[in-house]
Amino acid sequence: MEKLKYGDLMEALQTVTTPLLLTLRIALITTFFVAVLGVGISYLLAKKDFAGKRLADALVTLPMVLPPTVTGYLLVILLGKNGAIGSRIILLTGKGILFTWQAAAIAAFVVSLPLMVKTATSAIGAVDRSLEEASSILGRSELETALYITLPLAKKGIFAGCVLSFARSVGEFGATLMVAGNIPGKTSTMALSIYNAYQTGNNELAGMLVFILVAISFLTIVATSKLAETKW
Amino acid sequence: MSIEVNIVKNFYRRNSQKKTEKPTFSMCCNFEVGSGFSVLFGSSGSGKTTAFRCIAGFEVPDAGTIKINGKVYFDRENKINLPPKKRKIGYMFQESSLFPHMNVHQNIEYGLKGLNSLDKKKRVDEMLSLVGIEELEFAYPKELSGGQKQKVALARALAPDPEILLLDEPFSALDTVIRLRLRNELKKIQKRLGIPIIFITHDPVEAFTLAESMVVFDNGVVRQIGSPEYVFYHPQTRYVAELVGFSNLFDDAVVEGHGQEEKCTFLWSLGTEITTPYIQRVVGDRVSWGVRPENIEILGKEMSMGVNLVQASEMSKGSPPILEKDRKNLFYGIIEEIVNKGSSRVMSMKLKESGAVVNIEVANNVFESLKIEAGDECIVKIQTSKMIVF
Repeated sequence: MEKLKYGDLMEALQTVTTPLLLTLRIALITTFFVAVLGVGISYLLAKKDFAGKRLADALVTLPMVLPPTVTGYLLVILLGKNGAIGSRIILLTGKGILFTWQAAAIAAFVVSLPLMVKTATSAIGAVDRSLEEASSILGRSELETALYITLPLAKKGIFAGCVLSFARSVGEFGATLMVAGNIPGKTSTMALSIYNAYQTGNNELAGMLVFILVAISFLTIVATSKLAETKW
Repeated sequence: MSIEVNIVKNFYRRNSQKKTEKPTFSMCCNFEVGSGFSVLFGSSGSGKTTAFRCIAGFEVPDAGTIKINGKVYFDRENKINLPPKKRKIGYMFQESSLFPHMNVHQNIEYGLKGLNSLDKKKRVDEMLSLVGIEELEFAYPKELSGGQKQKVALARALAPDPEILLLDEPFSALDTVIRLRLRNELKKIQKRLGIPIIFITHDPVEAFTLAESMVVFDNGVVRQIGSPEYVFYHPQTRYVAELVGFSNLFDDAVVEGHGQEEKCTFLWSLGTEITTPYIQRVVGDRVSWGVRPENIEILGKEMSMGVNLVQASEMSKGSPPILEKDRKNLFYGIIEEIVNKGSSRVMSMKLKESGAVVNIEVANNVFESLKIEAGDECIVKIQTSKMIVF
């Protein structure tokens, strides 16, 4: 009797922890890549003039304005076994990427990248040009100037971009549903699990998941605003 | 030590229109300055900062060369363009441009690449004591006053031991007292370090007190180069004259003839004959002439209506009668406005013959003894030797 109860409890707990951990894993990995790539793209967009700059900007921004289902559909085509990326992945790993948590992470990456790029580009662009010139005339290379002057001064915007991207990844629904499906225990993230619970009338579970999701989002925002505090 | 600049830089409304459109601003400057203090002088928008930015490598000129101590920094034809980090230049911006996220120590240390930490510390300490801000070592820029910020900026620019120092109006945002103090300190530092300093300013006083040589800019072109004394008293164009304080400038004067003994020239201007220093122009030529407001002397006030003004001035001053040969360049008119400038008064006087307005500047102690008020009729004399004609 005791054992059964314990098993029930574990099972109940797992219905909460599995989507929670999956969501956190996807969101953290996504935010990491969004931060690294996003800052690089933002720096190029804010500081460099190159052919096709407007096109690149538009391409990165597009997922922000497209319905997630459209983004998801395009990703399915790209990542599918005949797609430009999907076929290569199969060649490399022998397995397709669709309907895996990695596909969910790619979907989250694509939809949250524009948030990072938009915020970071304006923050990097707002750094006083004369500070960068001062750095260069003091004998520093462009890379050193970017690392020691531009990016630290654009810190607030970059952090804000990270928070928005993280939050967007946690809340991602449409595109994830298209590329990763809604496989409980495998690709069913918090947002998808809430939908499942609601659909099956498990309001208790839905409520609990909603509560956790709200709490995570809230804590993230508070923690990041603390991190972004400056002493200058 | 010398800096040779001979460059052209065009600006367009949009980069893409480069080939088809006329430039909206074209800077075409050619000057050479030696060691010591030089000043680039000119009104805002005359191209001084653009010249600086080209020397520092922030802007790429469209043509020409830049050489510092014989080393080519830029040569369009031979495709030489050293990046700013390779040019050994100290640069001070109009706004101090200190890195806000670094304290004073870190700001100064930033340019000391390649030194070990002990040498870095030593150099930072040296710079702190050079500009006299040892106590501010760990302060952040936002905690500093305007003057302190500029001192840190100077220390930061000097720390990597540059070959020349470029200062872009570094004191323009500071109050007069701090400005004067920093100017003196800068002069001392220049003497101590012996590196050439080029300084941008549009303040004639600053140019006069700091510079050993002066390069005057107008609309992207160098108009005159010379010692401040020479530029101030012998401006070669109307623009330079205006810039260095010749607020009395009159055009459309006609050469009437030349005097024999005194080697003077007679002009017809402002409805009367004017005597000026000799100029090599033929009779009938149209010229402009000018005089500084402090080189017009007030001889006296009119005593009463109907009295000859020349006599009146003699009477009022109790001085010996004015000799015939000194009776040149006398004017009379009504004082319209008197402005107190602190140590002097500037009066605008409407001349009776022509209605033209001249500015007269007199020291306040002289002004008080004259007892002049707005509305008074006065007689004035323009000092012939101080007049310029071009």
